[in-house]
Amino acid sequence: MSLTRRHFLQAGGASALLASVGCDRFPDALKSLLPPDRVSLDGPFRPPTSAEIDAVSHALNRLTFGARPGDYERVRALDADADKAAALFLDQQLAPEKIDDAFAAHSVRRLETLVEPLGELFEYKEKVLLDELIRATLLRAINSERQLYEVMVQFWSDHFNIDPSKGDAKWLKVADDRDVIRTHALGKFPDLLNASAFSPAMLWYLDGRVNRRSKDSEKPNENYGRELLELHTLGVHGGYSQKDVMEAARCLTGWTVRATERSRFDIGKVEFEPRQHDKGRKTLLGHEFPAWPEGLSADEQQQRGRDEVVRLLQLAADHPATAQHIATKLCRRFIADEPPKSAVDSVAAAFLKTGGDIRSTLRSLFATAEFRETRGGKFKRPFHFIVSALRATGAETDAGQPVVDFLLRMGHAPFHYPTPDGYPEEASPWLGTLLWRWNFAVALAEGRVGGTKIKADKLRNAFGGDAGLIAHLLGRKPSEAETSAYHDSGSGLALMLAAPSYQRC
Amino acid sequence: MAKLQTFVTGNGDERRTLIVVFLRGGADGLNLVAPLDDDGYYKARPRIGIGRKDAVPLNGFFGLNPLMKDLEPAWKEGLMSVIHQAGSEDTTRSHFEAQDLMEHGGVVAGGWLGRFLRFRNGAPAGALSAVALGRELPECLRGAPSATVIQSLDEFSLGGNSAKLQRQLAGLYGLETGPLSGAARDTLAALERIETLRATPYLPSNGAEYARDEFSQGLRQIARLIKSKVGLESASLDLGGWDSHLNQGAIMDPRILNLAQGLAAFTKDMGGDMATTSVVVMTEFGRRVVENSAFGTDHGRASVMFVLGGGVKGGTVHSKWSGLKEELLEGPGDLPVVHNYRNVLAPVLQRHGAGADLSKIFPDFTVEPMAIYG
Repeated sequence: MSLTRRHFLQAGGASALLASVGCDRFPDALKSLLPPDRVSLDGPFRPPTSAEIDAVSHALNRLTFGARPGDYERVRALDADADKAAALFLDQQLAPEKIDDAFAAHSVRRLETLVEPLGELFEYKEKVLLDELIRATLLRAINSERQLYEVMVQFWSDHFNIDPSKGDAKWLKVADDRDVIRTHALGKFPDLLNASAFSPAMLWYLDGRVNRRSKDSEKPNENYGRELLELHTLGVHGGYSQKDVMEAARCLTGWTVRATERSRFDIGKVEFEPRQHDKGRKTLLGHEFPAWPEGLSADEQQQRGRDEVVRLLQLAADHPATAQHIATKLCRRFIADEPPKSAVDSVAAAFLKTGGDIRSTLRSLFATAEFRETRGGKFKRPFHFIVSALRATGAETDAGQPVVDFLLRMGHAPFHYPTPDGYPEEASPWLGTLLWRWNFAVALAEGRVGGTKIKADKLRNAFGGDAGLIAHLLGRKPSEAETSAYHDSGSGLALMLAAPSYQRC
Repeated sequence: MAKLQTFVTGNGDERRTLIVVFLRGGADGLNLVAPLDDDGYYKARPRIGIGRKDAVPLNGFFGLNPLMKDLEPAWKEGLMSVIHQAGSEDTTRSHFEAQDLMEHGGVVAGGWLGRFLRFRNGAPAGALSAVALGRELPECLRGAPSATVIQSLDEFSLGGNSAKLQRQLAGLYGLETGPLSGAARDTLAALERIETLRATPYLPSNGAEYARDEFSQGLRQIARLIKSKVGLESASLDLGGWDSHLNQGAIMDPRILNLAQGLAAFTKDMGGDMATTSVVVMTEFGRRVVENSAFGTDHGRASVMFVLGGGVKGGTVHSKWSGLKEELLEGPGDLPVVHNYRNVLAPVLQRHGAGADLSKIFPDFTVEPMAIYG
């Protein structure tokens, strides 16, 4: 078990030291040597008291992977008015760099592949890389204080989905996760798009690396060009033509990745090979890309190759259909499976106005009446369900294979979705997962999930008993039916986690 | 409104089950199904070849290894199809590379079976649609909408208080008005079937007897799950240890016996249900045609695949045999691949998911489904 600061303080030597310096003046230098505290189960915690989900519970439901013990009380204390408290919480979450996240960092500190430079990743076995990436994703979702950031990391991981089982992406996805998704998750969309386009994992996954036209008879590989327009930017009904797809593919010819099969050094490096680039005139989304002049120097060719892609990406990112497409997906994630058009339009307008600034776009989304008013109606995807149950119970978990196995059974393990559209957000494809949700609820409550422990009695006591615990789990006071089911089930905690209301957020 | 799914396959349900058996280690196709009338075979394998008289005759030219005699009834009943010279385009002869390519179905993300289950037409996959017997999820199931690795049926239990808990869940979900209520009803029914299954000792049908080895016991579990109609669409299991570089007999014989006995017992147990069941047996590559100095064979190219199940054109060995003459072999002396494994899988997938989009399942390959069905 991990040594918390409290345990350390209880140890004899430390208490003698503290007697002399006092807790408040605990030297910072010494403090940094101690592992940071995990969420405390020491109540008493004040559970939600209203019969409907209030603004604070709603914010915790949608902006986070679920409320931990004490979260409701902490957010509620930000302001006497629940709406204002929720707004202040949103402000905090939109500035993750100001939130101390020592415990989450501590929980992934041994996953050394996360910080390896690109080239070094090839020193590891593929299974180690995938296992560590999945564990890190789970541990951060469970432990991070920067919850909205982690929610957006998942959103963009789906949007720019890469299944690392293809080719060298087995090694390269770790870098994509770190340098593309996590770096830009709350940044500017055009920067995110740009990073993704030049990501070696993406060049592998969508065949960009073999998109070349060194002679007229060679046909460019359209895979990435198509998904760029259909999935990453304009959307399938975004008004581009099949000709635009072909022209985008031509713009992208010549970009490739050094592969394990061909090279022993600089593997994974992204390169532009001018000889494999289609240098003819192109017309894309109504804009002209002139043919390359003869006699460019090697450096000029490199620059021009990059400029052509950057211009293509900018045209796509700035297109009004892209704003509409991203806004629709964000509203589907945060508001409802069938997002109201009014909300989508105002979010799209914010996206366009700010040049794809993700924080401003989210701020406008959370300000819509549609967001405020649709409470408790989203069906949690399996990952959200598992993480919310672990958070709600204050579980200590290593997020190891037993947890991942549950996600595999429900078809929602991170980095396992084969096609570029990413895991679906709507409820319907996930309705078949109840069996494993119930199974997980029971296993968690009974302490049968390997590598995961909960303290059920302590948790209940922290909320002053059963009624408080149920309100904590549901984010509101339970109905009569829920209360009596809880008591008659023989396993109240398992029942509540398996209950229909807990599958929603 | 979202289309509701059914986990429970009751009367009239047409859910079919596909079982994938992967022989890991590179199984020697020439020692499973031998070309008895090819002199080249005996020239290449003077010490380890299968004698003409010992083999179980198939179509005259080919014969089964005598240790596979238990499969003769299935062959005679027309339940088994043999595809010789089958394999992949991978020429590395590396176990890892060849298995990886074959299970993914090309240089492509996800496993071919996972993609099939996710993208086939029809009702969404249920919670128990895909099961892998063993300890690890095979790569072919990667990306499946549901994939469960089990070692025993006990893992499906809801624990000690399950009856009380299920009653209360039924109550709460019964109050739901949306699609959750139907999904919960299906789940409760599936749980009930599993409980019954666990509580009842299993008696295989038609006098079938499963051997004690892990492979046979795995097939027994699968037969049980199919018969209990919990919505099983695919099951995968491995039979490993085929890497017969030396003393081929000592290495292969026990496995050949496990394979044949297991499949024979399963076919017998399933009886008429074989009409809706298919078993595909595959391996990452075959072995060198010429035996080596240690009575073994080294990594080669083509091997053999088996498809058992309803509808197959029984009694057929699919091959384009041109003889084991040295000049017709590939690389260091290997049987060339004539039937790409995807072309063998394709008709099976079409049978199990009518209208399945094969270009989505095998995106980097133009599939030409073999005519293995009559």
